[in-house]
Amino acid sequence: MSIQDNYLKNKKNIFFSENKDIQSHREKLINIFENNRFDKKNNESLKNINLKKFIDFKYRYLISEETSVINNNQENIYSIVSVNGQCSSFKDDKIEITKILDEDYNDFSKNNTIENNDHFVNLNSLFLNSGFKIVIKKNNNIKIKISNIITDDDLTIFQKNNYICEEGSSLNLIEEYENKNNSISNILNVIKLEKNSQLNHFLIQDNSPNHNLIITSHSSCKKDSTYTQKVYNFSEGYVRNFHYSELIEANSEADLQGIFFLKDNNTTNNKTFVKHLAEDCKSNQVYKGILNDRSKATYFSNTHVDQVAQKTEGYQLSKGILLSDNASYFSKPELKIYADDVKCSHGSTIGPIDENAIFYLRSRGMSKIAATKILISSFINEELSSIDNEQMSEIIQKKLVRYLSKVK
Amino acid sequence: MNSETLDTLDTYSKNKYKYGFVTDIDDEKPKKGLNEDTIKFISLKKNEPEWMLNWRLKAYSKWKKMKEPKWANLSFPEIDYQDIYYYSAPIGFEKKPKDLSEVDPKLIETYNKLGIPLEEQKVLAGVAVDVVFDSVSVATTYKGELEKLGIIFCSIGEAIQKHPDLIKKYLGSVIPPGDHSFSALNSAVFTDGSFVYIPEGVKCPMELSTYFRINAENTGQFERTLIIADKGSYVSYLEGCTAPKRDDNQLHAANVELIALEDAEIKYSTVQNWYPGDENGKGGIYNFVTKRGLCAGKNSKISWTQVETGSAITWKYPSCILKGDNSIGEFYSVAITNNFQQADTGTKMTHIGKNTKSKIISKGISLGKSQNTYRGEVSFLRKADKARNYTQCDSLLVGNQCGAHTVPYIDSKNNTAVIEHEASTSKINEDQLYYCRQRGLSHEEAVSLIVNGFCKQVLQELPMEFAVEAQKLVSISLEGSVG
Repeated sequence: MSIQDNYLKNKKNIFFSENKDIQSHREKLINIFENNRFDKKNNESLKNINLKKFIDFKYRYLISEETSVINNNQENIYSIVSVNGQCSSFKDDKIEITKILDEDYNDFSKNNTIENNDHFVNLNSLFLNSGFKIVIKKNNNIKIKISNIITDDDLTIFQKNNYICEEGSSLNLIEEYENKNNSISNILNVIKLEKNSQLNHFLIQDNSPNHNLIITSHSSCKKDSTYTQKVYNFSEGYVRNFHYSELIEANSEADLQGIFFLKDNNTTNNKTFVKHLAEDCKSNQVYKGILNDRSKATYFSNTHVDQVAQKTEGYQLSKGILLSDNASYFSKPELKIYADDVKCSHGSTIGPIDENAIFYLRSRGMSKIAATKILISSFINEELSSIDNEQMSEIIQKKLVRYLSKVK
Repeated sequence: MNSETLDTLDTYSKNKYKYGFVTDIDDEKPKKGLNEDTIKFISLKKNEPEWMLNWRLKAYSKWKKMKEPKWANLSFPEIDYQDIYYYSAPIGFEKKPKDLSEVDPKLIETYNKLGIPLEEQKVLAGVAVDVVFDSVSVATTYKGELEKLGIIFCSIGEAIQKHPDLIKKYLGSVIPPGDHSFSALNSAVFTDGSFVYIPEGVKCPMELSTYFRINAENTGQFERTLIIADKGSYVSYLEGCTAPKRDDNQLHAANVELIALEDAEIKYSTVQNWYPGDENGKGGIYNFVTKRGLCAGKNSKISWTQVETGSAITWKYPSCILKGDNSIGEFYSVAITNNFQQADTGTKMTHIGKNTKSKIISKGISLGKSQNTYRGEVSFLRKADKARNYTQCDSLLVGNQCGAHTVPYIDSKNNTAVIEHEASTSKINEDQLYYCRQRGLSHEEAVSLIVNGFCKQVLQELPMEFAVEAQKLVSISLEGSVG
């Protein structure tokens, strides 16, 4: 079934299909698909993807009756259960949670440059069926944990979330994706940081082999704000992490980090993109990956420094360890620099575990497997030890142990 | 930025192309445009055998179906292939002069202006020069000495006549005519270039060198160079270019193929200083070059060194295919862009064999309103056990209207291969400038010194004969400064 037919058939279940503006925007998107139907050859970000699964999907969506609960058991700590991408509304003097509205859709689709060349984001806009908006009010310090749950097999979730951190606010956001059913979940997070705000965003991804997670985020930082994102990908199913950040006002910072652990036939595609559009901004992009068996990964990183963005510091680092003969890793760290007073660099390494290090450990009486495991743990130790949330650190340690137990 | 820096930048960017002059020599050209007749005309002029003509026509039919590659970070107006002359040779060249006294004195004068007097080079530097003026070889020196060793060093046209077996076997074997549109174009209409064959076990005693020069207006130059190093041999080849000042854009699409058999080593050095266009971005050469080396045998080595200072558009990726076990590929590059120049250059290292090694050092310097891109691919295929790569690409920005970009592609399919890549981009360090100024250097001298230091890693790879010239070019590109 073509994307157009699929859309028309399910139109009544899709958000905002009554809105004329959005309707015309979607028609444009359909045109893009018809003319340029997932041109795999000229789009390296589609490398290693089984596209059929994502183009010829069967649209199915359920609205869960016992929707999302919000617990406010402690001061400033909220835990949200989002079911099939939906979340019930909530409001107090610190945060406000609502459904996403037409204007949020427009706000993103009109001001966004990535959408034209990212087919998955286009699919998200086209089949949008869920999502919520969270506003952190001025000068509040909040912690939120979101568990993303999908209730049934064969669901296709197309979700747009808006996060707005108002002036002076600070948010610690932990998102968990742990699903065991055979579904496609396509999520777009639009994040806005107002002046002097801060967002620490953790994403823990641990899905079963049949679950496909496509997660895209687009963050924009105003003056003195900081966006930090850490992605921990333990999934056994396909995951796509594409994260775009724009530093639109002076002295803002974006830090995009990720670690992925792959095994069996799994693949993952990762991309980080930071656009420096103002002076004195800093960015950091660090991805590390461990690939076992026949797994495949790609990582694209890009620092774009606009002509006005003097005094920029932008760093990239990509590291990969291949544990098996059949694993493959592709990385493309790009720098695009149009200003002269900048400090930008990237580093990228791919290789096996250092044999000398293994030899050292073995000469001290360790078995080869034990040595390998120790060296894998130390490879990512920097990232793990920087987690200041004890509970989270514990969760991640457990998952790491589980991954290591399969390493032979 | 202080006003002094701005002044210096101003001087740099106003620097005129020193070698902008034209020698008047009558040209013999076919009609403008590209079609089968043009190719037949070229083939007839070169007195080629039929299999060569067929090879060209086959390439042409491939080219017709192809589009120019668009992925590079370059913008230029559409090239009208029908508005270009595909053959131009100074009159009377079918009968080659036997020594320099028979060569048109105007030609010799041109080279004198460029500071490479043939006579002097012949005697002092011990370099055999195969000069290409427009498209036909002017003179080949030191041939006798090379012949004694069994080295073949001649124009490709001559090689087609005299060594058809080698040409048939190797031409197009590294860069297939259908590789991309520029290689197909070159294969169809190439007019001249050099051919080198080093027999088994021979170490070529001197640096082989060719000077390319574009002269006639609207003449695209399509050089084809083929170098074969047989088992255990060694050769160092120099290539340098300067071009007269012209307003119309000139197209240059050369193909260079290197083949290193077992234990052989080829060192290929280029200094490229085609006309880059004026300070308003008008004119300049479009330089679309395909250079590829194949390390076919075990323990072979290919090393590319390039200094790119000219051309309005540079599109050039000297690559190595490391097929033989233990083979080594190297790439050293300095690319300087000024005014409105655009350069998209880099390399491709494809590791196929076991224990293959590659090293990439790239230095980009952007001034004025230019755009300088490094684009490189390093890939380890499944069987490239214990392969190793080290890549370093640094960019220097001078002025706030230029751009420096780095686009590396890194692909590893082998878990014993190790790849390291690092890159940095920054402007000239104020502290270093301050230090130099304190010791009495002028601002200009200081900048030049720092830039030369920045490039040193690459310049020191050049053979002696070239090193001086390269340093000169670096300085000219930064003008006014000392070298």
